[in-house]
This record gives sequence, C-alpha cells and structure tokens, in this order.
Amino acid sequence: MSDPGGDWEDASPERLYVITGGRSGALGPATLDLVTLIVARSGPKPGMQPEHAAIIRLCQAPLSVAEISAYLGLPVSVVTVLLDDLLAADLVLSRAPVARAQLPDLALIEAVIDGLQKL
Amino acid sequence: MVREGSSPGSSGPTSPVIWAVPAAVTAAGTVLAVALVSAPARTPVAWLGAVAFAAVALSCAVAHRRGRQLAELRATVATQRTALERQQAETVRLASELLPDVVGRLRKGEFPEDVLTSLEASDVYEPGLTPEFRAAHLAVLRSVVDAVVAEEDLRDSAQRAFVNIARRVQAIVHQQAQELRGMEDRHGKAPEVFGDLLRLDHGTALIGRLADSIAVLGGARPGRQWSKAVPLYSVLRGAMSRIIDYQRVELHSVSEVAVVGPAVEPLIHALAELLDNATRYSPPHTKVHLTAVDVNSGIAVEIEDGGVSMSEEARKRAERMLQQAQRGIDVNDLGETPRLGLAVVGRLSQAYDFQVSLRSSAYGGVRAVVVVPQHLITTTSAATGVAHGIGTSSGPRGALEPAARPTGSTAAPSAAAVPAPAVPAGPIASAATEVTANGLPQRRRKARATAPAATTPGAAAPETTTDQPETTPSTEPGLWLAAFQSGLSGENQNDNASSASASKGEQP
Repeated sequence: MSDPGGDWEDASPERLYVITGGRSGALGPATLDLVTLIVARSGPKPGMQPEHAAIIRLCQAPLSVAEISAYLGLPVSVVTVLLDDLLAADLVLSRAPVARAQLPDLALIEAVIDGLQKL
Repeated sequence: MVREGSSPGSSGPTSPVIWAVPAAVTAAGTVLAVALVSAPARTPVAWLGAVAFAAVALSCAVAHRRGRQLAELRATVATQRTALERQQAETVRLASELLPDVVGRLRKGEFPEDVLTSLEASDVYEPGLTPEFRAAHLAVLRSVVDAVVAEEDLRDSAQRAFVNIARRVQAIVHQQAQELRGMEDRHGKAPEVFGDLLRLDHGTALIGRLADSIAVLGGARPGRQWSKAVPLYSVLRGAMSRIIDYQRVELHSVSEVAVVGPAVEPLIHALAELLDNATRYSPPHTKVHLTAVDVNSGIAVEIEDGGVSMSEEARKRAERMLQQAQRGIDVNDLGETPRLGLAVVGRLSQAYDFQVSLRSSAYGGVRAVVVVPQHLITTTSAATGVAHGIGTSSGPRGALEPAARPTGSTAAPSAAAVPAPAVPAGPIASAATEVTANGLPQRRRKARATAPAATTPGAAAPETTTDQPETTPSTEPGLWLAAFQSGLSGENQNDNASSASASKGEQP
C-alpha cells in the first residue's frame, strides 16, 4: 500500500482548531489590528500553551500582530485568539499604532520640500 | 469369494484325511462283510458295499468341499470385518483429527499445496486400506481445503477492498486537509471565513480518523507515516484534533519528549480512539483530562474522564475486547453495532507494543493509561519544530527569535551611527545590506529614517561627531535635505553630494 502522504512531511499532526480551542476570533470585539503592537509583561511561565509561550518570548520587544503571525507561521485569526487569551490574562500589553491622521500629510511635506528647494 | 484365493491353512491338510475316513471305514466294512458272509451272498454284499462306499465317498467329498468353502467364507468375512473396522477408524480419525488439523494449519497461513502433500505422504495412512478408499479420503480433504482456501481468499479480498477504499478516503482527506490549511492561511484575516474553515477542517479530520480505523481493522497501517520524530505535545494535540469534543479535553503537563516517527500515527490514532470513548461516555459538561508522565518503562499517557464509572463486568469486557483484538481480529467478529474504538486500540497496541489498561478513575469515570515503551521515545531535539507547532518543541525557532530581536532593536542606534556613513551609496542601500546581514529586514526603515535626522541636529549628534565638530554644522542643511530627498525619491539623485558629505562628516 503506497502511502499518499509523502509530501506531508512538513505538516504537523495538530490542526489549527485545537490550538485556538475551536475559536476563530469572530465573536469578540475586534480590538486587535494587524498593526497593533504587542509587548509582553513578563517572561513565559511553565505550563503555558506553547504558542502562548512563543508569543511571549517573541514580544519581549514590541511586535505587531502581523509580525507575530508571520514568525509563528499561524494565520492572523489564530494569533488574534491567542493574543486575546494573553490580554485577558494580563500577560501582554497591546498598544494601538500611531494613528495615521497624526502624521503629516505626504503631499504637504513634498510641497514644503519643493518650496525649500526653490529658495 | 474366490477373490481372496487363500485356502484356510489350518484345516487344509487335515480335512482330506478326515473326510477319507468314512469312505475307508465303509470300504473296510465291505471287505470284512464280504469275507464273513457265505459265498452265495458274497457277490450282492460286495455290490452293496461298493455302492455304499461310492455313496459315502461322494458325500464325503461334497461335504469336504462345502466345508472348505465355508472356511474360506469365514476367513473372508473376518478379513472384511477387520478392513471395515480399519476404514471406520480411519473415517473417525479423518473427522476428529485430520480435518481440524488441516483447517487449523490453513488458518495459520500454511499453503494449501503444502498441507495436501503432507497428507498424501503414505505414512499418514495405515496399510491395508484400499487405494479407492484412500483416494476418496484425499478427495474429501482436498475439497475441504479448497473450501477453506476459498473462504480465506474471500475474506482476504474483502479486507483488501476495505483497506483499499480506506486508503483512497485517506488520500482525499489528506489532500483536503492540506488545502484547508492553505485556505486557513489565506483567509486568516477574515474571522468569519476562518471559523467556517476551522469547522470544515474538524469534520475532515473526523472522516480521516474513520478511514484510519477501517484501514487498521483491515490489517494495514493507519494513515500517513512520519519520517521524523514528533514532540509528544503535538502528538497529544493531534489526537485531540481528531475527535468531536476536543474542546472538552484538557491537556495538562506533558513531559518534554518526542515520539519516533513510525510510532507517531499509531499513537495519535490509538489516543484519539480512547479520547473519543472518554468524551462519548461522559456527560457533556465534564472535562476529560489528558496527561503524559514519565514512568520507568517509558511514557504513560493517561486519559481520565468524569463520566459514569465502568462496572467491573464492563471493564472486564472491555479488557477482553482489547486482548481479543491483540490476538488478531476478524472484521466479521465486530458484530452488528461495532464498537470499533477498542478493537482499533487493541490492534494498534499489539502492533506497536503499547500497553493499554482501563481502570476506574478517581474522578468516578474511566481512566485509560497507554504506556509507550522506551524504544519509541526520543528526545525533543530530534523532533521537528516545524509548522505551527512552534512552541511544542520548546522551540529552536522560539529560542532563535528572541535572540534575534534584541540584537535588532539594539542594532538600530549603532546602525544609525556606524554603517550609514560607512556605505556611501545612500541610505536605502546601506539600510538594505545591513538588514539582510542581520536577518531581520522589518522595522529598520523607520530607524534609518530617523537616524540621519537625529545625528545631524539632534542629541545623537554630539557623541558621533565629537572629532570634527565644525564640519558637521557647515554641511548640515544640505546633507539633511539631500538625505531626505534621496530617501523620498530613489537613492542616487544627490548621490555624490551625500556620499561626499557623509564621508567627510562621519568617516573619521
């Protein structure tokens, strides 16, 4: 009997729904954006779910949700669910990114540069 | 009658003498009477004597012949009776010994040709039986062997068909799971779609477990094979991911070991069946506890539920079923409403040396313990740390990332101070090369954008430009503008100026 799973080797036996406990992050209020910055409040504790521990290790320096997702190789929704757990347990802090409106407009800057060069 | 042709040996030589006696006596009497009677009567007496002698001799001869035939008949009957008894005994032996032996040998997997030739060897039969009889017996045996072989073939082909279908289902399920994983990655940003995908994924995994069960009961390996060791934590969660009520399973402390590749799939499957039993036969609001601890002989995985306790009788039945399955199971024995789970567990534990025991739990339910022997256990360092089980091997990757992060964040000031002037091609190029060397291309852009602005007018300037304080203020506006502009629109607009001034400003 030939085994059809030869190209499965890089997969893992566990499926994503086990990692999230069946949650997809669809229910809760969407407090976490892709660019929300996450920083851990402490180091990982023993007995933690490995994904939680990995996030905490990653977030010793602030990291965005999208980056965590990329590093862990997990979809954003899974990371969001995991981060919700960590936020509820007060193990990480989230900080919304700098609002775009507070940054000066690009066109304005270009206009200023043009004006300065004309001087 | 005449077939035997053997004359009775004992009466043969004596009987002619005995049967000659009356004739001789008659002849002697006649001679005596002839001698004694008077002369005129002598002739009639002689005639009478002669006639009497002839009659007696004739009857004696006939009686002798009859007697001999009788003896021959008796002898024939005796030989036939012994032959019949022998045949009867042989038939009884055929029914009571030979046939069960033949069937047993065939069931044990001997080739039918071997069995037949060993039967045809002459020493199996006692001598004296006719060739027809032996041929008839052999024919009976041969037809029995044929029937048994045909039955076995039928069952084999049925099992092969089972396994074949199961393999196809497994292939489809594998492909589907793979595609689902891809979709989950693609639609990970949309929680609604993602939730639906997770449910589909779960259902697919359940189908896969069913197909695995059929394959195992058909005598084949379960599902896919793993070439590398997999951490026990992943194995346990893999088992969880194949049951319906995985949310009720609480995964407790797991010792940090890995399971060698060939044993991964069987262990996952066996644990999934036990977890399925545990969740199925306990109330829906209770939890099922799953732990794995080190024991002397290996790793003990415990599954404890808080359901209805198993009665002693039910426990014995379950253990009997496990043992039965370990001896080898027949798909036909599973019955009308098959409880496949324990049969599968028994089969797998027999094939892979797992020890499975079912006891009543301290929680009141059932406690199933699977002991994985030491030779199937390896260290986590040999395991794959791949895919989303990142932390499961307490990660080479997980350890690598935090090591890389601090260097990246601490490298930002130094990158602003040192390499930006060292590479005169422009800020973007310098940032790019420096970043690839560091392996973390993110977030550097911002640091670089602020860095030139900070070095020239700000607080970071004094420490880097202490050597030549007068050149930096002189080139300050032009440098700043040039750097800013090249950063905005391409790199080599003011390449010469910026490189020259940068090297002049900060090279020493």
